[in-house]
Amino acid sequence: MAAPSRGDARASLRLGDWLGVAPFFVFAALFLFVPTASLLVGAFQDGEGQFTLANIGRLWQPSIVNSYRLSIEVSVASAAAGALAGLALALAALRANMPDWVRPTLLTFSGVASNFAGVPLAFAFMATLGRLGFVTLALRGLGLDIYSAGFNLFTFSGLTLTYLYFQIPLMVLVMTPAVDGLKREWSEAAETLGASTWQYWRMIALPVLWPSVAGAALLLFANAFGAIATAYALTGSFLNIVPILLYAQIRGDVLHDPNLGYALALGMLVITGASNFGYLVLRARSERWLR
Amino acid sequence: MNMGKSVKFALLGATAALAFAAPAQAADMNALVAAAKAEGQITVIALPHDWCGYGALIDSFKAKYGLKINELNPDGGSGDEIEAIKANKTNKGPQAPDVIDVGLSFGPTAKAAGLLQPYKVSTWSTIPDAAKDADGYWTGDYYGVLSFVVNSDIVTKPPADWSDLAKPEFKSSVALAGAPRTSNQATMAVYAAGLASGATDAAKAASAGLDFFADLNKKGNFVPAIGKAASLAQGTTPVVIFWDYNGLSARDAAKGNPKVDVIVPKSGVVAGVYVQAISAYAPHPNAAKLWLEHLYSDEGQIGWLKGYCHPIRFNDLVGSKKVPAEILAKLPPAESYAKAKFPTLDEQAAAKDVIAKQWDAVVGATVAK
Amino acid sequence: MKRGHIGAWLVLVAGAAYFLAPLIATFEFSLRMKRGEYSFEAYRVVFATSEFQGAFLYSVVQALATIVVGALIVTPTAYWVRLRLPRLRGVVEFITLLPLVVPAIVLVFGYIKMFSSSSILPLTSTTFGADALLMFGYVTLSLPYMYRAVDTALAAIDVRTLTEAAESQGAGALTILFRIILPNIRSGVLSGAFVTFAIVIGEFTFASLLDRPAFGPYLQLVGANRAYEPSALAMMAFALTWGAMGLMQLVGGGPVAASRR
Repeated sequence: MAAPSRGDARASLRLGDWLGVAPFFVFAALFLFVPTASLLVGAFQDGEGQFTLANIGRLWQPSIVNSYRLSIEVSVASAAAGALAGLALALAALRANMPDWVRPTLLTFSGVASNFAGVPLAFAFMATLGRLGFVTLALRGLGLDIYSAGFNLFTFSGLTLTYLYFQIPLMVLVMTPAVDGLKREWSEAAETLGASTWQYWRMIALPVLWPSVAGAALLLFANAFGAIATAYALTGSFLNIVPILLYAQIRGDVLHDPNLGYALALGMLVITGASNFGYLVLRARSERWLR
Repeated sequence: MNMGKSVKFALLGATAALAFAAPAQAADMNALVAAAKAEGQITVIALPHDWCGYGALIDSFKAKYGLKINELNPDGGSGDEIEAIKANKTNKGPQAPDVIDVGLSFGPTAKAAGLLQPYKVSTWSTIPDAAKDADGYWTGDYYGVLSFVVNSDIVTKPPADWSDLAKPEFKSSVALAGAPRTSNQATMAVYAAGLASGATDAAKAASAGLDFFADLNKKGNFVPAIGKAASLAQGTTPVVIFWDYNGLSARDAAKGNPKVDVIVPKSGVVAGVYVQAISAYAPHPNAAKLWLEHLYSDEGQIGWLKGYCHPIRFNDLVGSKKVPAEILAKLPPAESYAKAKFPTLDEQAAAKDVIAKQWDAVVGATVAK
Repeated sequence: MKRGHIGAWLVLVAGAAYFLAPLIATFEFSLRMKRGEYSFEAYRVVFATSEFQGAFLYSVVQALATIVVGALIVTPTAYWVRLRLPRLRGVVEFITLLPLVVPAIVLVFGYIKMFSSSSILPLTSTTFGADALLMFGYVTLSLPYMYRAVDTALAAIDVRTLTEAAESQGAGALTILFRIILPNIRSGVLSGAFVTFAIVIGEFTFASLLDRPAFGPYLQLVGANRAYEPSALAMMAFALTWGAMGLMQLVGGGPVAASRR
């Protein structure tokens, strides 16, 4: 491509480039870094403000390690399922010659549903799939008792199912521009050249979509990882994810060790950073393929 | 209000305070009211309107003194309130809490951290010694006992005691009002269940309570969701273990739909005391002191009683026959409270320690998925 | 894509069933306030509280401000990173993920400490300052979603060619950004705007601790310990937010949908 001229242009535009991202970094510094700095500092302090590594050390307790593992599992499960289902929904609504009202309805509904979480969502699922939920009762009327068949809303699977209510719409919204970007000319050209639908998807559409899918899935992962309100309301006494432990140390009525809470938060930041790094590696490889 | 009596108490309080040479003494009410009105506002935190009738108390304070009340974070826990004081040390805006209402164990720790300022209300001497800080840094405000709050439309045989909860008719029925690590109601419920089994030592009672809930979970009687008025009414959590005042308030809010019963268990009756304190960094200290005077006046204490919380001066008020009979009639019978155990700070700490550390291992998801 | 039509309809129907069931359950429960009959009693009780409209309006204004400021911060950044500073991409994306995992309470207490009434920029001591601080907080909270949506949209257009073509016509950076790039990523900005709007309307922690009269604190105050009112509130909030987004869609998204067909 235009590599040589780009190189010269890049050298002379360097200051201008940095000016372009300056507002972002200033904003991030003021409203993200500095407030978070107290968190980072606090993780390495004890109650009197002295430097200590004890909080980090306490993170390696089996109960806390289990908590991180559980958090990661719930987040991965809801991100993976949400990504697949969201992509399917976006493709179905936007690429299959649906009536005109489908697109705006799906997008606006997704907008609202993407933030329907916490106590209202937990209650909605209790009222739907709880022991006396309306779907449970309706199915029982049809002769199918899901609870005796082993289903239980207040488990890992139930929580993941509930998380999907905001994960899927988020995926739909984020992927819409990418799905829109699948040019009609490509599918038409592929058809002209004799490719089957499956080949079109496998060799053209999915590889093109893949970097955006990966980025969206990462967003879904982090979204679930940091979420607390829904998990607390639905399975708070049973599934101890890290945000609940954090809540217990910084905000609750029982324990109060903010420094351990900050250490827990630091651990979450590290895991988010690691997953971001993993995503970057995956994405770089797929984009190299695209070139 | 009996002016003569409170003047006597004020004198008693002033004498006692002078004896300690402490700056915290009952101030002259008129000067206090004037100073508070000059400040114009007060900031409170973590006071839901349905908790202990705080909604009515806030309204009566506004009506009586004309001050503006900023209400922060009605959903907050005790930890939230402490952290809010810490975050607002240099801030004099309306985001800085003037007064806090926290669990008993948070009083001494906040005092040790230098977050509170002392003030002894004019009715100080009528407050039991065990429920207040000797120097006036925190003052017990109300208490309640843990009770079974039951949706009587769904539960046909109401439980009378903790052991009843393990019966098969309570399959998928019993929930706590919070998660045991974060919620005082939940942790004390585990402790209470343990006391009911006969243990008296705090740590042993906590272990016994954990075993009780593990058993409930294994039998399928325990619902891990957080019980609320809505889930109680909807039927997912027909039995919730709440403070009696929360249960009674839920009963009133439901207005008979569904029928809600609040049952104090026969054994294992645990009382939880909350304490009121003024922030050391309060931007409106006089308004804060006036708020405390309002709460500890007869009118304020009865206001809490209307919200079904037993005010800390309950025995004093009943003794001087100041409590209207119709309010007493709405509370559970007094005999239920006769056996109430008020855990000391040490006992609470020991119980919390065991429960927080072992809940997961004994009851939680590490047992089975 | 003419084939797979049935499959697409099945996916949509399954999706609709999954999303509508909890809403139907909540709505049905909200009608049960009067014993033995269905009625709108819970809604009547909620409407009777005077702060409903004021709180909702306040949050709507905050949401619109947040969307504008958020889009203005995110779009140039995503554009520049994609075009000229690709090595910064990892750092920038990590930064945009931070608001998801840093607890909101830590952020808001950090703001109070930084902008307290005794600091250089005492935003907490004036109403306007507190409103502005809340808005910046909201921009922070919606940053992950806005960034991801805009970045995905930029990925779908050929940024480099568009830029070079515009530059060859003598367009400056701002012109390129606002008159060429922005119109082409409209669907991304709209997606981000939708999520931002929903976040701001429902947000509680920031608004409550900064003592601002937003919709989130109102919902908590009116419905927290009640049986039926929370469901009624949830349905009303859902309907109103959906309606507002419908308006946003009309204003911001109409022509794009047509051109993609």
